Amino acid sequence: MSRHVAPPAVLADGRALSAAMLRRLFVGQCLVLALHLAFMPAWLAGLAALVAGYRYLQLRRRLPRAGVVLRLAGVAALTGGLWLHYGTLGRMESMIGLLLGVYLLKLLETHNRRDARVVVLIGMVATTVAFLHDQGIPMAAGALLAVAWLMHSLVWLAGATSARQAWRESAWLLGLAAPLMVLLFLVFPRIGPLWNLPQAERAATGLSDEIAPGDIAELSRSDRRAFRVRFEGAEPASDERYWRVYTLSEFDGERWRRVSPERLAAGLGRELRDLVAEGPRSPWPDDAEPRFTAELLLEPDSRPWRPALGTPLESDERLRWLADGTVEGLVPLASRSLLRLSSSGLAPSWPEPLGERWHTRLPDDTNPRSRALAERLWREAEGEPRAFLAALMARFGEAPFRYTLSPPRLTSRDRVDEFLFESRAGYCTHYASAMAVLARSVGLPARIVAGFLGGERHPDGHFTVRDYDAHAWVEVWLDGAWQRLDPTAAIAPERIEQGAEAVEDGGDAFLADSPFSPLRMRELGWVNRLRLDWERLEYRWQRGVIGYRDESRSAFLVRVVEELHALWGALLGLLPGRGLLAWLVGLALALGALGGVAAGLGLAWRRHREGRDEALRIRRLQAWLAQRGMPPHDGESPAAHLRRLADSTGAAGPALRDCAHQLERLRYARLGPAERRTRRRVLSRRVAEVRRRLARQGVTG
Amino acid sequence: MLSRASRQRWWRRAAIAPGTPLPQRRLFLLPTRFGLGWAVLVLLLLLFGINYQNSLAYGLSFWLFAVAAVALLRTWRNLLGVRASLRLPAETFAGGEARLGVMLDGGRARHAIEVHAPEASASVSLPEGHGEADLALPAGARGEHPLPLLRLESAWPLGLVRAVAWLASDETLLVYPRPLADEIPEHRQAGAGLEATDFAGLRRAEPGDSPARLAWKQWSRTGVLAAKAFSVPPRQQLWLDYDACRGAPETRLSILCARVLAHHQAGDRYGLRLPGVTLAQGEGAAQRRQALTALARFRPAGTPGGVR
Repeated sequence: MSRHVAPPAVLADGRALSAAMLRRLFVGQCLVLALHLAFMPAWLAGLAALVAGYRYLQLRRRLPRAGVVLRLAGVAALTGGLWLHYGTLGRMESMIGLLLGVYLLKLLETHNRRDARVVVLIGMVATTVAFLHDQGIPMAAGALLAVAWLMHSLVWLAGATSARQAWRESAWLLGLAAPLMVLLFLVFPRIGPLWNLPQAERAATGLSDEIAPGDIAELSRSDRRAFRVRFEGAEPASDERYWRVYTLSEFDGERWRRVSPERLAAGLGRELRDLVAEGPRSPWPDDAEPRFTAELLLEPDSRPWRPALGTPLESDERLRWLADGTVEGLVPLASRSLLRLSSSGLAPSWPEPLGERWHTRLPDDTNPRSRALAERLWREAEGEPRAFLAALMARFGEAPFRYTLSPPRLTSRDRVDEFLFESRAGYCTHYASAMAVLARSVGLPARIVAGFLGGERHPDGHFTVRDYDAHAWVEVWLDGAWQRLDPTAAIAPERIEQGAEAVEDGGDAFLADSPFSPLRMRELGWVNRLRLDWERLEYRWQRGVIGYRDESRSAFLVRVVEELHALWGALLGLLPGRGLLAWLVGLALALGALGGVAAGLGLAWRRHREGRDEALRIRRLQAWLAQRGMPPHDGESPAAHLRRLADSTGAAGPALRDCAHQLERLRYARLGPAERRTRRRVLSRRVAEVRRRLARQGVTG
Repeated sequence: MLSRASRQRWWRRAAIAPGTPLPQRRLFLLPTRFGLGWAVLVLLLLLFGINYQNSLAYGLSFWLFAVAAVALLRTWRNLLGVRASLRLPAETFAGGEARLGVMLDGGRARHAIEVHAPEASASVSLPEGHGEADLALPAGARGEHPLPLLRLESAWPLGLVRAVAWLASDETLLVYPRPLADEIPEHRQAGAGLEATDFAGLRRAEPGDSPARLAWKQWSRTGVLAAKAFSVPPRQQLWLDYDACRGAPETRLSILCARVLAHHQAGDRYGLRLPGVTLAQGEGAAQRRQALTALARFRPAGTPGGVR
């Protein structure tokens, strides 16, 4: 490190900030802004450059200080820009933008040390606000860099004289503080939100609650992560990983829609509590045992959906349990969060309160050819639903139907007819839609389930489910329970066994939107390994650090207590002949502690006596004298009192005088410890002598 | 609030003497406004973490809290055990400034220690463990003044808290009268008449001889350093008399002060007569110092308390 002298933080007048300090503040702003830029409008960077440029020119004395007008204009431009960008100022993003803009504009009126410190404080707040966007490892690393830089600016402001010194001190501060931070993080009680705050809105990607052929192909192109999951206990086999999210039961001839409980209750005149209930466990009477306990790490989403393997049964937090056997959170997720959810792995086994009629509704005059086909097949199956469904599945497995992620567009009103009899190419949505329509047209209650199928298993046992794992299948009410029926399994079994990426035909469409996704390089062994390692690390980070909540805290504390207990046990185990020796050691420790306490107390007492001893003795002597009619006068010092009495008490006189003398020496002279002891002994002898002599006098006189 | 006087008294009681290492019990930690701002920041971040259930916000707020705790210790440690000693200014004239040197010895590296006097302050860093701060105190009126109470202060490393200690010295600052140059008498000016004289021979050089008068040639020849002696014209022998001056007492003292300086520079022999004080005739730096000290300490009749 070069030892050249860096310019100090403030100029020689002791007030104005130096250009070097302003530069440091600006670099800090850039670092903080960088945390936000992926999520915020890019013109904020332009604002930062403008402000810095103005400040630079001002320092070169070409421009006057920014006046009130300019600063107000800056704020107005910022507000206007945000309003144009977001259409409102009430959204979380525009508020974050406002904070960032004010942080940047503040540089215009930063002239002295105090202003600079305010800038740094705002920078800390802006850094924290960046955690609303994301809490991943890259964000944390970036924030660490920004905070270190801000800290080093503060050390400069406190009077550092070289960069090396400033960085050294910041490293000490941050490093020494880190253990305390970790401790606080681990043991600080986590409580729920104190009040509601505006949440950042998330673009709703992932599943849609409305499907028409075409939607899920688009979804299939994205490798965005939908959620991650780890199982406690049994893991589902690859053909059991059907994550139910929504049921779509309303069909208008073209598209299937989900109907929310609120709309259903309003539309059908039902009580809302028949359709949805809040609580930690499912209120619906399901016979199935919980089979899978999943710990879900959910990505933020503006909708409150929660995936479940089969029918959700029980959770560790309060959720909304819907009568169709799906579950929702009470609020959308603003950040990644953990959820424990146990589920049956099977479709629900209770009849829906809406009944069969709701699930057999079809628009009257649509898809005539499909209806005809269904009726023919129904007759051939002799009214036996299982045989009918088997015939449908077999039909889809036959030659002309093929599975493709880029099917021809379906444009007519009778889309199912068009698909079944003309294009005969499609993906899960097409097949599920056709299947449900065919089942409904012969009076079998059927609905479509939208969710995910599969997920990538990591070597450490957690699964990642991505947007391209989205899937749709059918549930049919049969023999007093809903039965899962996946027509895609008939046409493209590898989709079920190996996941979406296994379908060769997908070709161009698969990951079409992510040209640089590392998922494209699965074949390259080391890239794939790196990707898996990174994802494992990320998962651990999200689960262990970001997902650290009250339960994790309690579990951690319990573990610490257990560890301590085990350690104590191990210590005892180390001792041979445990019982007696342990007692002996314990006794020795206790005695040692007792001895230490006693020694400490003794020392304190001696210190106390050091000053008080002679004073106490003399005071007692004075009290004794007062009892015999020789009290001190008002305001008379003890020594003066004794000397006054010395003249009138005859034999006790010399002793009294010596008492006064010794007292004064002890009080005021600078004495070594040895001499002090001697004089104290002399004093106590003299006091005794005084008493003896005066007592004798008292007897005689 | 305490009154100014009682605060001063309290500070004096808490002060240490120069030369003693600053003990723990005389070192005080006071929060600064920035420190209070920091507390608000930590609280804000904590609320943010709670309300958004944001673990990184929790983490950052805990970290900033921990940093404040560490900074507290480091601020305290930065000033603990510092030994301050004072270097009094060589001479101070009323109306001028007294450059008081505060020498700090920390034993190890210390940073950004500020020394405050009522009307002056200086900042010093001790990267090698020792350093000196120069305080330019405005010198007040003529006379003997106790040194002001000095405050040692450091907000290193973050400015969240200030470590404060007070330093009280028993020494006094002697302020000479302000030289009043108007009435420099008709004496010859500095050095006049000294060079114009005849060479009178060589004498053994003594430390303090002017280099101009050393006989360099002889030195190169003989190796013995000699100084040239000149026959000096009889220098003035004179008395500076208080009663001979006109004006208010302070004016007279100022005039006398200026004369002392002038005659010293001219190399004259002079004595000083003040009411009640007489300084025999003499010359040289010692005479000058005695004369100026007498002027500084002089108490005109009618002001029994002296000039403060």
